[in-house]
Amino acid sequence: MLYDVRLALHYDYDATVHGGRHLIRVAPISVPGVQRVVASGLSFEPRPQRESTFTDFFGNSVTTLTYVMPHDHLDIRLTARVQVEDNIPPADLSPSREVLRQEISRHWSVEPDSPHHFLSSSPRVRLVAAITQYGEDVTAGTPSVMAAATALCMAIHRDFAYDSKATDVETKPAEAFALRKGVCQDFAHVMIAGLRGIGIPAGYVSGFLRTTPPAGKPRLEGADAMHAWVRAWCGQHVGWIEFDPTNAMIAGPDHISIGHGRDYADISPIVGVLKTHGSHETTQSVDVIRVE
Amino acid sequence: MEMRNQKSRGKPPAGPSIIADYRLQPGVPDEMIDPDGNIRPGWSQLMAAFDKLGPAELAARFERADQYLRDAGVFYRKYDGAEGKERAWPLAHVPLLIEEADWSRISAGLVQRSELLETVIADIYGDNTLVQQGLLPPELVARNGEFLRPLVGVKPVSGHYLHFCAFELGRGPDGAWWVLGDRAQAPSGAGFALENRVATTRALSDIYSDMNVQRLAGFFRDFRDKLFDDAKRDGGRVGILTPGQLNETYFEHAYIARYLGLMLLEGEDLIVEDGKVMVRTVAGPKPVSVLWRRVDASFVDPLELRYDSRIGTPGMVEALRHGSISMINALGTGILETRALAAFMPRLAQKLLGGKLLLPEIATWWCGQAGEQKHVLDNFDNLLIGPAFSTSLPFDDLRGTALGSSIPSDQKAALLDRIRASGADYVGQEPVRLSTAPVYVDGKLQPRPITLRVYAARTAQGWTIMPGGFARVGSSQDTSAIAMQRGGQAADVWVLSSKPVERVSLLPQDGQKLVRNAPGSLPSRAADNLIWLGRYAERCEATVRILRAYNARLAELSKADLPILTHCAAFLDSIDVDASEPMPQGLLASIDSAVHSAGQIRDRFSPDGWLALNDLQKTAQRFATKVRSGDDATRSMTVLLRKLAGFSGLVHENMYRFAGWRFLELGRRLERAIQIARILSHLTGKDAPDGSLEMLLEIGDSVMSHRRRYSVSAGTQSAIDLLALDPLNPRSVLFQIAELRAQIEMLPGGIDDGQLSSAAKAALQIETDLRIADPADMTPQRLDKMAADIGMLASLVAAAYFV
Repeated sequence: MLYDVRLALHYDYDATVHGGRHLIRVAPISVPGVQRVVASGLSFEPRPQRESTFTDFFGNSVTTLTYVMPHDHLDIRLTARVQVEDNIPPADLSPSREVLRQEISRHWSVEPDSPHHFLSSSPRVRLVAAITQYGEDVTAGTPSVMAAATALCMAIHRDFAYDSKATDVETKPAEAFALRKGVCQDFAHVMIAGLRGIGIPAGYVSGFLRTTPPAGKPRLEGADAMHAWVRAWCGQHVGWIEFDPTNAMIAGPDHISIGHGRDYADISPIVGVLKTHGSHETTQSVDVIRVE
Repeated sequence: MEMRNQKSRGKPPAGPSIIADYRLQPGVPDEMIDPDGNIRPGWSQLMAAFDKLGPAELAARFERADQYLRDAGVFYRKYDGAEGKERAWPLAHVPLLIEEADWSRISAGLVQRSELLETVIADIYGDNTLVQQGLLPPELVARNGEFLRPLVGVKPVSGHYLHFCAFELGRGPDGAWWVLGDRAQAPSGAGFALENRVATTRALSDIYSDMNVQRLAGFFRDFRDKLFDDAKRDGGRVGILTPGQLNETYFEHAYIARYLGLMLLEGEDLIVEDGKVMVRTVAGPKPVSVLWRRVDASFVDPLELRYDSRIGTPGMVEALRHGSISMINALGTGILETRALAAFMPRLAQKLLGGKLLLPEIATWWCGQAGEQKHVLDNFDNLLIGPAFSTSLPFDDLRGTALGSSIPSDQKAALLDRIRASGADYVGQEPVRLSTAPVYVDGKLQPRPITLRVYAARTAQGWTIMPGGFARVGSSQDTSAIAMQRGGQAADVWVLSSKPVERVSLLPQDGQKLVRNAPGSLPSRAADNLIWLGRYAERCEATVRILRAYNARLAELSKADLPILTHCAAFLDSIDVDASEPMPQGLLASIDSAVHSAGQIRDRFSPDGWLALNDLQKTAQRFATKVRSGDDATRSMTVLLRKLAGFSGLVHENMYRFAGWRFLELGRRLERAIQIARILSHLTGKDAPDGSLEMLLEIGDSVMSHRRRYSVSAGTQSAIDLLALDPLNPRSVLFQIAELRAQIEMLPGGIDDGQLSSAAKAALQIETDLRIADPADMTPQRLDKMAADIGMLASLVAAAYFV
């Protein structure tokens, strides 16, 4: 599946910003066998005084911006053409949780993809007894790790209401869990906490999702949004599988990934330190258009 | 196992009378008394010397050491409330003696250990072969909060991760020294070791020079030389990175900065431009090449490490990726302090160094492994149980770590369950059994448990061990009371040499070529604090002078509603000072602000100046509780005035006339000019009541000059002439402005190719106006405008140098 992705992030500052630095993580990366970036371009307005890119620990592409001159807004634009493979979800050859535990303990590696990075609390996902209990309850009786992850993914979709007013970008998983409400970021964090709580390594994926307009209605420009889902390590054989609790599915050809980390903090689209007294307003627009 | 001092139990040791009552703990080795009950050689010399001094002289000598510490302003911050208080440094006066042979073993062991730690950390942030080979469990890295992923693969520009480490040692029941913990993140205490040495030798200088004690200065000189050599290679400066004055060891950061001639920098002093670290100075951004950090790594960069850090420099990790800054020690080295790591060090030594550790460490079992977990559960009561990922030393960690047998039975079952469920989070360790050493308590020597902190530095000759260090002495027999936060003390450590020792100083020796270092650049933040210190000190003086004049008249007239008094009170009110208070809160606030500004720049002026300022603050606070208005307050203000003059004298007579002094001077002159202009305006207006002129001259400290110069035609005009326009009166507005203009011109960029900076132009404008003015021109309105213009001048200076 070939897509054109367009992202525009607009920041409007209340007070003049006298300089700042940002880390931007919005550009998709190529993942062998999953997706290939054909072309990708990032632009910024106003133009930063310095711009550079590097690859972070988890393999994500990061752009560093430095502003020295005063400015009152920031526009980030991404255009990318990405080829996503239409892979059939793998058959469940994953082990039981007990066997998984042994596989992990024999996994002598701290490479970026090693399950060890994804088992304990991380900056934005603390292990919480209530979520662990929920994880135990909804996965009870599942024969395999993949079945357990699927069960948790379905349960969150069933038990949680999508409500963009209920939470914000800072909401902790425990709060979203108590509300049983939130958006993709909250569902992903809750699922990660649940999986880790029951011993399954889990991480956070940031990306885009192609949406299909309701039957008979035209596709609206910019109506898509940035999206987040979960990856879980389903044992030595199967490896990492991506689950989307917001849409109760295994991530497929409609999911275009930017990158991943332990939680939102590792792959947030923008991190910045600004010299200013005021706050800011953000608007975002995303278009994912199928080319062929 | 044989106990070293079994034979001596209960028997008073023979020898010097000062130790006649020295009773050893059963089964506990002692530093002074050997297992056979005999006093060891160095100690016998020390005790004989104490005997010779006699109890009264000894007490006086120890008091001299305490006096030195108070005078030098040595303190640490103790956290017992929301904000820590400064505490006097708790010196245990009797030094800990260590014989040369013992020391050689410690030294060799720590050099080996430093090399091992370097190899381990280079692997953790490099190729990770130790994990792949099964020598290091992946959980200890991947689940570790001190494992900083942004630093993985970032090679230190110096080629090394570790440059300065500390080790906590204790002597076990078998008589050998054991490593209790490694400090590899940002070890503290080296400066305190120096101060312990200075204080102890103040008390015991004669004994010290007789005993061939190894000197500390050479160690610091070699380390400093290495830092400067590294910086020279990269063309930048060397700084100490401090979290700021609220940190518990800020004193030490300032002390070492002064002692070694390094810039004392906070995160906000630094910016990263094009991947290079620069310090913001009054002469613009200047490159920094080496940072000896005393800040925990995760706080160093809010962009890539802890997002909530308020003391970091955005972009620092980027600079490290660019290889433009050498961090001492590298960010991420804190992982070496992880308690569970101790369990793997013996095997790592075997594999990486091909031999045993020369200094053993306390046996540690990590419960993330089945066999080890079983051992801990089986021996639960006899082990220290604590968090595996903790980086605090077992006996400093009073909340998280406890002896199994001391854990209440109702909590024990739950803890056992947690260890079984998530063993990776727990370690069991052999309980620390420490040796004792004599400490002086109420005229007697008593044995107390001790630990020894020793420092290792990477110098041009490789790893070098400081011949000495700092001993922590327990406040009771309880080994858990060693932490200073719990009332423990610190003692100097004397490493004895069999031969006379070479004297070393950081000052250049005769025959060495004299090199005059270019004065370092002044960080903008320090300059800002210096200006404000000058301003607040001057504001205090002005306020004190007015309050003294007010109270003197109140005492004389004994009625507060007389016009001159209400007029004066109105002026005080305009500067937030309530004249009805004998020691007004507004004045106390100005004094506090001066102390606060001074506290930010402790490395920039003398300890005497700091003590004078603190003395002023204490005196004013004491007065506030008991002074009455009138005569009593007048006398009190005179005392404060003298103390302020003492502070000014100490600072201005002793500060090197470079940029730092210049900003302090600017602050003082700006404030004095503004205050004089405003009081002149207030007391020369049409509504000024009788007695205003006398009051004005008194406040302006110009009574005598006025009498001498205008004996015939004294009046308002002559007072204005003297206090506004006289270029020779050091209290006149013109005098201040002339001085301001001269100093501003000498600031960086003050005059550039004959062009005046905007601040220099503004100062020249005001000075010219004053020089050509007649007393009659100086109406209250004109004086008020002048005060406002001088305030603008302060803003221009701030905009040019502090932004």
